[in-house]
Amino acid sequence: MLYDTALYMALAIFGVGLIYKVSGWFRFSVDMQNRSESTPAPSRIQTALRGVFSTLFSQKLFILTRVFVSDVLLQMRIYKEDIIRWLMHMLIFISFMFLLFTHALDKIIVTSLFDRYYLDLNPYLIVAGLMVLAGVAIAAYRRFILKVPRLKTAGPDYYALILLAVIIISGLAMELTKLTSYENYQSYWNIHVYGCLFGLAYLPFSKLLHVLTTPVSLLANAVMDKQSSPANIKTRQMMELDACTRCGTCSNRCSVAVAFDRIGNEMILPSERMEFLRDYYSYKAIGAKGLAAIQQGIYLCTNCDRCTVACPAGINLRDMWFDVREEMIQRGDAVDLVLTPFSYFRGLNMDKFDFEPFEKPVVKARKKVTAPYKLLHQSDDIIPLTSANQVFKENAGLSDRASTYTFCFACENCSTVCPVVGNYESPIEELDLLPHQIMRSMGFGIKDLAMGSRMLWYCLTCYQCQEHCPQGVKVTDILYELKNLSAKEVVPSQPTMGSVTLK
Amino acid sequence: MQFTLFLGCNIPARVKQYELSARAVLEKLGIKVADNKEFKCCGNPIRNTDDQAFILMAARNLALAEKQGRDMMVLCKCCFGSLKNAAHVMAHHPSIQSDVNAALAKENLRYTGAVEIKHFLSVLYHEVGIKPLKEAVTRPFKKLNIATHYGCHALRPSDVTQFDDPVAPVVFDELVSVTGAKSIKWPLKLECCGAPMLGVMDTLSMDLTERKINDGLNAGANYLCVACPYCQMQFDRVQKMMSPDPKDNRRLASLVYPQLLGLGMGIAGEELGISENELDISNIESFLEQEIQ
Repeated sequence: MLYDTALYMALAIFGVGLIYKVSGWFRFSVDMQNRSESTPAPSRIQTALRGVFSTLFSQKLFILTRVFVSDVLLQMRIYKEDIIRWLMHMLIFISFMFLLFTHALDKIIVTSLFDRYYLDLNPYLIVAGLMVLAGVAIAAYRRFILKVPRLKTAGPDYYALILLAVIIISGLAMELTKLTSYENYQSYWNIHVYGCLFGLAYLPFSKLLHVLTTPVSLLANAVMDKQSSPANIKTRQMMELDACTRCGTCSNRCSVAVAFDRIGNEMILPSERMEFLRDYYSYKAIGAKGLAAIQQGIYLCTNCDRCTVACPAGINLRDMWFDVREEMIQRGDAVDLVLTPFSYFRGLNMDKFDFEPFEKPVVKARKKVTAPYKLLHQSDDIIPLTSANQVFKENAGLSDRASTYTFCFACENCSTVCPVVGNYESPIEELDLLPHQIMRSMGFGIKDLAMGSRMLWYCLTCYQCQEHCPQGVKVTDILYELKNLSAKEVVPSQPTMGSVTLK
Repeated sequence: MQFTLFLGCNIPARVKQYELSARAVLEKLGIKVADNKEFKCCGNPIRNTDDQAFILMAARNLALAEKQGRDMMVLCKCCFGSLKNAAHVMAHHPSIQSDVNAALAKENLRYTGAVEIKHFLSVLYHEVGIKPLKEAVTRPFKKLNIATHYGCHALRPSDVTQFDDPVAPVVFDELVSVTGAKSIKWPLKLECCGAPMLGVMDTLSMDLTERKINDGLNAGANYLCVACPYCQMQFDRVQKMMSPDPKDNRRLASLVYPQLLGLGMGIAGEELGISENELDISNIESFLEQEIQ
């Protein structure tokens, strides 16, 4: 009686949970803030079904079959990444599948095939159970003893491992006490069976959901491309958030992951970003700090594609970052990184944008970095003779290269050879100050002038000025240093340490 | 010559022809290169806002090469400049170096400065040498005018990069001449391609690119030749965005140096990734002479 109730409840929660999760794929999209027109869920479901059927009845079926065998069954993408991880995953995968079909569903499958199927002590069950345990042990070893760099472990990872361990250990104990002690057997049976039912009910909300979503992601990404319907791409992206197991492959491969070691913002790590986004798109609430963290994290990306190439779940992270980046940088406070070479990839893709949304984050950032330094914008003001900011003057010479500004005798060579200055008819109007004027402003200790000009952020870093300075002033390096200083001063909302939580 | 190849971020994702052609040329010249899949971003893009992160990112790559026991061969000029700058800063600031090493210790890495950082062009020029290269060119170009684009971050700051004479460089010109092509004189040869401002100040970026293209055309160039993925993307993909009409006769297509050298060495166009270029450069093969038997 109790068992039946529990079984049906678990099945009901599983079913409702799954429907809730899957419906989210059609209700949301990663660019929800900026979407001009949104496709309603029912028509997205229709488009998805149409896409699935037209794929199944085309030559793409061969691709699907190949990917199903190599990436879903044999999991070759994990094998290519790391053989130990592949072994871990295969141990759990094969034996769990075996246990599911011959043991958990034995009444439905095995007994219908074999008459009078019963074994007092089933050795296959014990071997399979031990294999799962070995897999779980390797997983725990990787996470807790080996401490793979930048592999983060949080609640869902513990829960999944603990759940697997409880189910298998109780199952093994149950199988071994079957012939010796009925009482022990009964209590192990309770742990085992209710553990399984709990696992079933919890599955749609746990990282174990990936047993369903990761194959879907692998198959969908094998046949979808840029020509796929935009509605289906949005649906796929939402599904991909559920297909991520936070295995950390992307963060391990990520080109800028080392920046995390210095900056400490977890949103720099792609796998952590996926975790964050999953919550973000479910709750849609985000504090100013959280937004600043995700903005910085997602803009610190060289678009090297390595995460997409390596992802064992086949998730198209390249497109995910592209869309989420726009969603985030259009909102809230300005992101100073927009004014750096991290913008190159966005610039390469400018034809995908309308002019206004393309320019907005850049204009916003430029305003933010120049606004605090008011002196430049009040041209009528007389600069007092005693305005030298000694603290600034001392701090601006942090490195020995930067302190060379004191040698400047204002010959203007740097401004003469600067290609940015040369590009404009009336450079002062466009740039506020020319390079030699910035050097002199530092000599006078006038911080507002040195830090506030647009010249600073239009610098190409081509080093013509520095190369041609007869006094050995390290002009370009000084401009770099001023930009660094500005990043520390002007963007105080920038997250510095630790993880981000939703509001 | 023991090198490990540093590709950076852009080449594998967007300028594949550079890697393809460089590997093809190196193989034919008998230079074996190792790879290191642990290499990450050189740190260049973060230099504007966080120089500590920049140095750490650069130093980690150098420490990996050190562990591998090989010198570094860098294809990208921005990566090259970035790694050189970081090495320079650490050499002059022992405290920064020890900070960096404290952070690297977590991954059992250590930077001591034992590794040499060389750009691909320097390896060809100094390690292989002009004479052997000339012998390797079996199918020289004839009547081909090349506007050689040096790229900023290898050339300057010259005291740090030590690539060539910053005002009157010869390395790249001589390497172009080896193929039989003429490295023409053009006034803006040593100027920036405009890439650093793309996505930041696009009109400025494209103005600089356009000015260089016009300058090359006016000097009679048939093609631009570069040795940096940023310069290549700027003269290739961005130029295509700037003048989308394929019949536009004010276009000046660009190729990466190992494509030029490879063709001269008799390597087939497809092995050099000719079709990966956005602006069609297949016509360059019509400048090739017959194979010298």
